Amino acid sequence: MILNALRDSLWLTVKLLLIILPLTISYEFLKERGLFSGTKPFFFMGITRPGLLPLITGVIIGLTYGAGVIIHAIKEHKLGKREVFLILLFLSVCHAMFEDTLLFVVIGANGLIVVVARLILAVVFTYLAYRARLFET
Amino acid sequence: MEIQKPLKRGLLNGLSITFMMVKVIVPCYIAIEIIKHSGLIDIISRACKPFMTIFGLPGEAALSLVAGYVINIYAAIAVLAPLGLPAKDVTVVALMLGICHSLTIETPITKKTGANASLLLLVRIVLSLFSGVVLHLVWK
Repeated sequence: MILNALRDSLWLTVKLLLIILPLTISYEFLKERGLFSGTKPFFFMGITRPGLLPLITGVIIGLTYGAGVIIHAIKEHKLGKREVFLILLFLSVCHAMFEDTLLFVVIGANGLIVVVARLILAVVFTYLAYRARLFET
Repeated sequence: MEIQKPLKRGLLNGLSITFMMVKVIVPCYIAIEIIKHSGLIDIISRACKPFMTIFGLPGEAALSLVAGYVINIYAAIAVLAPLGLPAKDVTVVALMLGICHSLTIETPITKKTGANASLLLLVRIVLSLFSGVVLHLVWK
């Protein structure tokens, strides 16, 4: 039982290294070219340009594999508490959109409905939390 | 453009991030193994069986939902696939579990970012149940 857990953990560590290292390295190169500067609010959800990086990372590769990059980007750009909440609210509903969806499509789910519904819910609730001035600090 | 400096920074960041993630995840994996063997999943899903009609699902789907919430999507699919449910049912489960899954691992991770993890946990569970009901009612 504990062995099982250790084996799973070890395997996950290898996967994490394989996924996180290329991400953090390419992140440093992109930053070198000034891709993440600027604080103009991004469309209508109270998320700034540096906040887009953790958002997109999470939506594509998910919370577990993306967490490292998400946490690092939040600390490095000193994103505010409110923005962090909005990003995580969006990601809670809408992350790992490829992996999660494909797994269910394989056993017969309609992937389009799942993706569209999650995106709409994420946008609507993040917007509502933004407009409701939730967690103003 | 400089190559060595960003490469070194990226490598060091990646290693420290991986180390941090391992510290968060290993205890979760041990907890999941204990939960799996404790029969807790069975008890919860048996209690949830009668409520599955709200989502238009057969009672057996409760096990898949609870396994997905507590463990992960792979565990949910392992018990869902043999049921051979129609596309509508599978899509309802997919949407519900897409919004809310792997809570034992993702909630501690969410906490690490500094966001209010327990509030987000509540939001995920409520949205998951809500979207399941709505999709069932809309898909006739």
